[in-house]
Amino acid sequence: MAVISLEKIEAIASDQASLVAARKLVKPSSWSGLSSDNAGLIWGECQGSGSSPYRVVASEIDAGYKCTCPSRKFPCKHSLALMWMRAERKVSFESAESPQWVQDWVRRRRSGSDVSASAEAQPKSLVQATTDGPEEIDPKVEARAAAARDRSRRERETAILAGLDDLDRWLIDQTEGGLAGFAGHAGKSCRSIAQRLVDAKAPGLASRLDLLPSRILSLPEHLRATVAVEQLGQLHLLAEAYRRQESLDLDLCADVRREVGWTQARESLLGEDGALCISGSWRVVGIVSEVQPDRLRRLETWLWREGATDAPHVAVLLDFVPIASGQTRGPYRTGERMEATLVYYRFARPLRALIKETSNPAHECSASLELSKDGLAGAIAEYENALTRVPWINMWPMKFSEARVRRNSERLFLCSANDAGVALPLLMSQASTVTPLLAMEKIDGFGLWDGYSFRLCFAQTLLGRWVSE
Amino acid sequence: MTADELKSQVLPLLLSGTRREDGEQLRALGTDRERAVLNALSLAGQALRFTPPPSPSEFAVEIWPKDERQIVPERLRPHIFRLLDKCTEDTARALALAIEKQKLRPHPFDLPKLDGFIERYADRLGTTAQYWVQRQTPAQQSRGYFEADELNADNWTESNLRSRAKFLKALRNQDPEAGRKLVQKSWGAENPDSRVQLLSAFQIGLSAEDKPFLESIQKDRAPRVRAIVQRLLAAITGAVEDNPAVAACMERIQKSKTGLLKKRNALKLELPATVKEHEANRWIQEQFADVTIGTLARACEMSEEELVAAAGKDNNLLFALALMATREKRFALLDAISDELPDAWGRMSGLSSDEDFLDDADQLEQWAKALIKPKKWLPEVPFPAWSWLHRQMEGPLPAGIMREILASKEWAEQLDQEKKGPSLEIIQVICALCPRELRGMVRTQLEPLEVERKGKGWMLLEILDELESLT
Repeated sequence: MAVISLEKIEAIASDQASLVAARKLVKPSSWSGLSSDNAGLIWGECQGSGSSPYRVVASEIDAGYKCTCPSRKFPCKHSLALMWMRAERKVSFESAESPQWVQDWVRRRRSGSDVSASAEAQPKSLVQATTDGPEEIDPKVEARAAAARDRSRRERETAILAGLDDLDRWLIDQTEGGLAGFAGHAGKSCRSIAQRLVDAKAPGLASRLDLLPSRILSLPEHLRATVAVEQLGQLHLLAEAYRRQESLDLDLCADVRREVGWTQARESLLGEDGALCISGSWRVVGIVSEVQPDRLRRLETWLWREGATDAPHVAVLLDFVPIASGQTRGPYRTGERMEATLVYYRFARPLRALIKETSNPAHECSASLELSKDGLAGAIAEYENALTRVPWINMWPMKFSEARVRRNSERLFLCSANDAGVALPLLMSQASTVTPLLAMEKIDGFGLWDGYSFRLCFAQTLLGRWVSE
Repeated sequence: MTADELKSQVLPLLLSGTRREDGEQLRALGTDRERAVLNALSLAGQALRFTPPPSPSEFAVEIWPKDERQIVPERLRPHIFRLLDKCTEDTARALALAIEKQKLRPHPFDLPKLDGFIERYADRLGTTAQYWVQRQTPAQQSRGYFEADELNADNWTESNLRSRAKFLKALRNQDPEAGRKLVQKSWGAENPDSRVQLLSAFQIGLSAEDKPFLESIQKDRAPRVRAIVQRLLAAITGAVEDNPAVAACMERIQKSKTGLLKKRNALKLELPATVKEHEANRWIQEQFADVTIGTLARACEMSEEELVAAAGKDNNLLFALALMATREKRFALLDAISDELPDAWGRMSGLSSDEDFLDDADQLEQWAKALIKPKKWLPEVPFPAWSWLHRQMEGPLPAGIMREILASKEWAEQLDQEKKGPSLEIIQVICALCPRELRGMVRTQLEPLEVERKGKGWMLLEILDELESLT
């Protein structure tokens, strides 16, 4: 089992002050019950300023952590100190079975490790076998619960269909009035229909509508009207596809339902027979951290499968954390490599995935990445191909080679280095960080294209690796 | 309907509003009007999605300067980020100076992330950093990007003021006439700040040949320039009466005789009644700005050494002499003055204007040795004085002085765990001032302190060690 490294701890620390504070706790006298299950989990209790000690648990495999302290820094000094002691190997961790509070945490979090699997594989005692035996299930109670679930599902389907009718009426109203000036009143009108869609239990569509005004207003003025047409058109396409689910193939149907707001539980996906599982060496090629209108921060980790000859090459791990928690970064850093098995959510173009099993946890890797032999034109063609299959794609991962960044007035563009045909406008918020790439003749890299702006996540250049973080 | 037709015929309807149209074109898209509108919306939208974004017809030509410096080693990049996160100005300055000394430059990809640091120390961090700082400056206001040692008579007006002043001083040292001719040529295009700085370089190699030029600018619009011109002209003619500043100073200096067996001259500087105690240093600096030790000694009818001895009991006059000796690089005299007035550098540090007294490394070392006497005096309110010292030195203190500081009682008291202990700021500035050979000693002294307190200083020492170990 690979242990967490000091470099990794440095990378995940939110600032220098956290490391300095953690350093003071890197001594056994501050801790009690330092233990490890020898399968990637470490935990202990640290006496803080509160009356009861803080319970701290961390995963060595993906540097996940949890501490009961009220700190607004993530990770807090206690989590860092626990990992630090493990990394230095100067303090001994007692081998033990994980206590209930650790198991609860493992159950709640996204599976980034094979902890649960290994725990199941451990032999149990007779006493445990006796107490852990399956509970008696009353068939009548079970049947009542199933009926209730079914009724609830039917009611939701009905509510969604009614919501889609509302959406259509709203779209007609907007179109009848003309979309040239839509950007001017998008905020208010999108909010009202988004609320109705939340009531209709279609949160996916509501979220799209909530994000629409800021998306339109982030673009240059001359593009806003046509982008409104595109985006509102997609909403109708989704509504229409939802009404005609029976005529869609299973993958596309799952895609439509997810876009509308149905979700699949993590456990359900991990236990699903026939779910697409891909094992390999994955490199982190992009990290996106964005605040959503629902006051959640969306943390995207984009992964690239090295040496893959068959699709899919790309996967995205999604995490959502409350803004109030203060956490702005996930456990991964661009450039890291890990050996893992990923299970994909059902999609017409598989992208979103979960880590099912990790054989070698994420670690810093300086080796260059063989991304693509295609230039930007090839990447655009791939995007259009995906658009043909899934017309409501919002964000599409693109790898490219032999491109260069160029400037026209205030805007930066990602262009083909060899031909002048393709020029993708770069995200305006990246203008400062991308500017040094203007000096590079050729770059290879990875980014995200939403049809209007390209978010450059990662680039390989003669001067080394450029990352957007 | 084709994609082109959707864009050319249906899109304008959607933009202007379908309510106004009779729906002729929409009829082909659906059985009823509402269905047709929604189909038009989704089809036109989808057609637009396959339209590539417009490509600009031309792009700016990027001309990044050629930077001969090596990029800082990869392993140091994250450490530099951590060091510069909430560090003191002294730590940032020490890092910039070390990077400059090793002829290194920050990684170009780090420039946006270190923007504040780059902005402040661009002229020390290489031509790429200078370009970065000026990237949004209008062309007519921007300067060129040069290493200080690449400046010559053709390009010197293109560089920043600090480099230009340095270049001019070096030129005046070698060939005063060439220096004067360069300034004469560019004089009309210089702003007041530049004129003051450039004219100050005329103190080096000043001769009667400079007189015509100085006379021609006697009526400059900037009072600061006029004052310097007057001082320089007075120094050329050597006549006390030509310099009204000397006369003004003499009005404030009282001469008397002291001693019982042997009568000695004694001088006393009378401050005006309106000058409060905390304003004294500033007043002295301004009052004696245009006076040299030589002219003052002549006005007092004594030699320069006698002048220092006569001022021995008057701290204010000694301070004025210390300022003059520093300006004139009279280090032997300064040494004698600081023997009488050991806290002269503490008083100098309290002056609000940051005058760059010296810019030559050897002279700075001589100046520090003459001025700083840790065995006699260390500042009681230390941090601003230490920080000022680092600004002046632009690098570490001479090892002898630093050793005395580290061995001093005051420093030992600061480190005493029983007491409050040195502040973060003082630790960082001491680390910044510490020469390489004494870093081990500083580390040993800081070892018992809390990590929180010593962390940044410690990190600075590590990075400086690594930078200096590069060949």
